[in-house]
Amino acid sequence: MNRTEIIETTKRFLSEEFEVNPDVIESANNLRDTLDLDSLDYVDLVVVIDENFGFKPTADDLKGVETFEHFFELVERKLEIA
Amino acid sequence: MMIISKENITSIIPQRDPFIMIDQLMHSDEHGFVTTFEVTQGNLFLQDGKLSESALIENVAQSCAAGFGYLGSQQGDKEPRIGFIGAITKCHAISPAFLGYQLTTKISIIQSFEQIHLVQGEVFHENEKLLACQMKIVLA
Repeated sequence: MNRTEIIETTKRFLSEEFEVNPDVIESANNLRDTLDLDSLDYVDLVVVIDENFGFKPTADDLKGVETFEHFFELVERKLEIA
Repeated sequence: MMIISKENITSIIPQRDPFIMIDQLMHSDEHGFVTTFEVTQGNLFLQDGKLSESALIENVAQSCAAGFGYLGSQQGDKEPRIGFIGAITKCHAISPAFLGYQLTTKISIIQSFEQIHLVQGEVFHENEKLLACQMKIVLA
């Protein structure tokens, strides 16, 4: 899966799961603020990442994710490892 | 096969009489739990011979408490951990539980993230499903 596919997939499932406009899922935007995540929502985030990308991020993985760019980089790293 | 009997159930859950809504822990592993509970006269939630939906939800929550409590005890916890219901979603109350029903509750752990656990809970009487819901359990 290349970067474009990762971005398109991410926009689709995050907008569905967290009920936001896909257009707000942009590299520079803050993930937590944009998706209006509270601490309980992170378990839902792990579920949809696993369903769509086939890996379960750890708490340490997600601590480094502030923007969607960080998120895309995380997915790329994990998919490369897999 | 039973893991924890009714007499010993308080060793793995923090709830106490008259608020105990499970009897026995039948199964517990990293994938899920199974408990049983008989609806008896004198139950706090019993009204006009049946349990309210909220009682079945509490049964699901306590089934989680028992399962996580048992797993914790296997890892050396001296006391059952306190847990909180963070959210209840996708709740389908299909049928009430009546006096005398022997309930079996099955919990499947969908996902865990740190101390937050997303579970699917289903309450059965014999083969009839009475209630299903998803729950986020936060362990303190």
